[in-house]
Amino acid sequence: MEEKKGTKCCGGFLAFVLGFLLSVVAGWVLFPGMLYSELDQPIPFSHKIHVEDQGLTCDSCHFFREDGSYQGLPTNEQCSGCHSEVVGQTQAEAKYVQEYVQKNKEVPWLNYQYQPDNVLFSHKAHEPFECTECHPDVAKADKAPKYYENKLSGYSKQTMKMWQCERCHAENGVSNACHVCHK
Amino acid sequence: MGLDRRAFIKFIVGGAAGTLFTPIPWKLADDSSIWSQNWSWIPRLKSGAVTADATYSKLCSAGCAVKVKKVGGLAFGVKGNADNALSQGGVCPLCANGAQMLRSPARVAGPMKKDGSAFKAISWDEAEALLADKLKGLKGQSGKVAAISGDGSGTANEVLSGFLAGLGSSAYYYMPSDQTTMAKAWNGIMGGSGQIGYDLEGADLVLCIGADIMDAFGPTVRNQKAIAAKRPIEGDKTVTLLYAGPVRTRTAAVADTWVPVSPDGGAAFALGLANLLIKSGKGASLGGFGEFAELAAKFGPDAVEKAAGVKTEALMTVAKALLMAKNPVVVVGSGSGQGGGVALAAAGVALNALLGSLTVLPEFPKAVSHAPDRSGLLAKDVVAWLADVDAGKAPTPEVLFVYEANPAYALPQAAAMAKTLDKAGLLVSFSTYMDETAALADLILPAPHPFERLDDAQSPYGLGKATYLLATAVAAPEKDCKSTPDFILGLAGKLGVDLGFGAFEDVLKAKVQAIGADWDALAAGGAFVSDRKGSAQADLGASALAKAAAAPKAQGTLLAALDHLNIGTGALATPPHALLTVRDTELYGKDLFVQMCAATAKSLGVSEGAKVKLTAGGSEITARVALNEGVMTGVVAAPLGLGRTAWDPFTKGKGDNVSKILAVSAEPGTGYSVWAGSAVSVAKM
Repeated sequence: MEEKKGTKCCGGFLAFVLGFLLSVVAGWVLFPGMLYSELDQPIPFSHKIHVEDQGLTCDSCHFFREDGSYQGLPTNEQCSGCHSEVVGQTQAEAKYVQEYVQKNKEVPWLNYQYQPDNVLFSHKAHEPFECTECHPDVAKADKAPKYYENKLSGYSKQTMKMWQCERCHAENGVSNACHVCHK
Repeated sequence: MGLDRRAFIKFIVGGAAGTLFTPIPWKLADDSSIWSQNWSWIPRLKSGAVTADATYSKLCSAGCAVKVKKVGGLAFGVKGNADNALSQGGVCPLCANGAQMLRSPARVAGPMKKDGSAFKAISWDEAEALLADKLKGLKGQSGKVAAISGDGSGTANEVLSGFLAGLGSSAYYYMPSDQTTMAKAWNGIMGGSGQIGYDLEGADLVLCIGADIMDAFGPTVRNQKAIAAKRPIEGDKTVTLLYAGPVRTRTAAVADTWVPVSPDGGAAFALGLANLLIKSGKGASLGGFGEFAELAAKFGPDAVEKAAGVKTEALMTVAKALLMAKNPVVVVGSGSGQGGGVALAAAGVALNALLGSLTVLPEFPKAVSHAPDRSGLLAKDVVAWLADVDAGKAPTPEVLFVYEANPAYALPQAAAMAKTLDKAGLLVSFSTYMDETAALADLILPAPHPFERLDDAQSPYGLGKATYLLATAVAAPEKDCKSTPDFILGLAGKLGVDLGFGAFEDVLKAKVQAIGADWDALAAGGAFVSDRKGSAQADLGASALAKAAAAPKAQGTLLAALDHLNIGTGALATPPHALLTVRDTELYGKDLFVQMCAATAKSLGVSEGAKVKLTAGGSEITARVALNEGVMTGVVAAPLGLGRTAWDPFTKGKGDNVSKILAVSAEPGTGYSVWAGSAVSVAKM
């Protein structure tokens, strides 16, 4: 009887450990891959061509408007300044001109760091920071980074969360009162 | 070692425990904060450049120069245009809600045809073909094609009236207003030309007889600005404001003096003042002055007290103030903005002539040469015409166009008028919204919202100078609408009616060129203001005035209908935001409130909050009583603009429509339809 009890105890512990280890592995290895869909931008965009070859700077396309609001992703109004017609050799540009500029349709760019409307994020207030402190450095990239969409929330993997905002505010001595971001 | 039940449970527990050492629970909890913002009922904000585009909003009767605020091209708000002399940064309660009304649930989605008791969507081409087919057979038949317009200032009227003229019809009518009454007086009875104006900017005394200039008379914002500029919060007041009328209106509330005058006593009060001015040596160069002076002499203080309920002392005080002022201006109208007598309008002209303040604005040249003269059309009587149609004295129109108007709701004796409108073979509504007339119509051809279209305004009634303004499309169309004048021009082309233009934009460009204005400056929100004066040559029309003024006084309780801009107009129901500004003493829950003083309530045997039935003109409404000592004894005041049967859930079924009990009578001497100050029967329920 005592031998049987000992076996049971050992087998039960092993089952617990097995369950524990399997869930840890699944949580760290499988879960991230299952949570996100890997998407490409609707038009392949090369920052490198625009910056290095054409001599544009970041604020040629990503600029502050006169009222202080921020033009994040450029619209056809900006892009068609150069691309009202096909000017280069790439298929991507031809697709952009034919499918968007000529049809007067905005490109549904995938926004890596879209914030929901319950948050007011002012780029003007954060102007002293380097763009790359929050955004990926794409100035020299020939391809737009992959976009990882959270299958459950629909947001990008890179979406900044409230705890990140709060931590940065605290580190920089800025108020974390609700009304600072939730207007 | 087998996996028994106990081992399996331990496996699960181990798995659950292990999960706590993975990102799964913490990541899901973290993501839930933004996932909760995905719910469908949470509004999505539009981002983009914030702009403000200037245009002229014609949501109120006179219009406001506004800037439409947009984000990423989407209109979201309205502010006054500080660069426009007419608005000076101000905006009326209706135009202030213009962006909201772009997306009103009452908007008509596209052209529709009545199919049984419901509407069926049709295409614009189908609508044009249907109308062309119908009108082809009516060409040259007088009175078979008619139109009612509620736009008192737009060149679109030239296109529509010119089209009717091309079809051989002269049955073009404007909705009744103080402007049409004054046109009947000045352009009709008195034989004048141009348009009567009021130079409030140059006045040091403004006497309003009935005209509620601070609320709904004429260009309200300009009226307010003109008075406010001379009555600064700090510093000397350089204009005196007097109000004479049966109710302490919003103008009376800010006036230096309120003189209570019975609802049907305005003409007698004005003639009494004229009598005192003439006795003090004032004269006028208009024709028939001698005859007029004889008429005025019959309105001594006692006669005025009898006819208008004004004490001698009050009459003398007002006359003295007019004599002492350097630039006095008298503005006449009715508290309801319609239905006032021609006698009052003519007496107002006479008073200004005696005071040397008569202002006449010249008409701008027409763009559509075939179109009848605007002043002549304004002087016509739509109510009398519909009564004739109902009685079989005038031909029933086979096609009746309704433009920028809601006659089924807003005409006096509205229920009866709606029945007459329904007799038309094909009732065509060009309404932007599903209003009461559109609901009655056989065909709805929705006009774009004022922010979505090209339009204009020439000298909105009430201004002191000839003024021209342009409205441009500053918002993308929300619905499948078509500019009414453009549709009519297309129809005219199909029927072989040559109006000289193929597009309304060309009509307006011709108009702007003819008056010598700059299109670009107007399109940028500017106003073209002319210093040219119109001819003040006219006759004082004393013979017609004498008959009108001698009319027997209405007996019993009198109704003073009040037009409040925040409640809306006949053509525009209360915007949802403005609904919050309607007072509890005008509408509470679904109950309309009528106001009367305690003495009137006592004589009628009713008390505060009592439910009453008001009957007049063959119709009745129900309301509750609100006691208000700002209403003359013997008078019941009631707000217009409520009791909608169409429109949207925000306005439908709230209160009752006071227009139903505005009893129409023909004014002696002029034959003009009047209903201001009509008698009403009040019974406790």
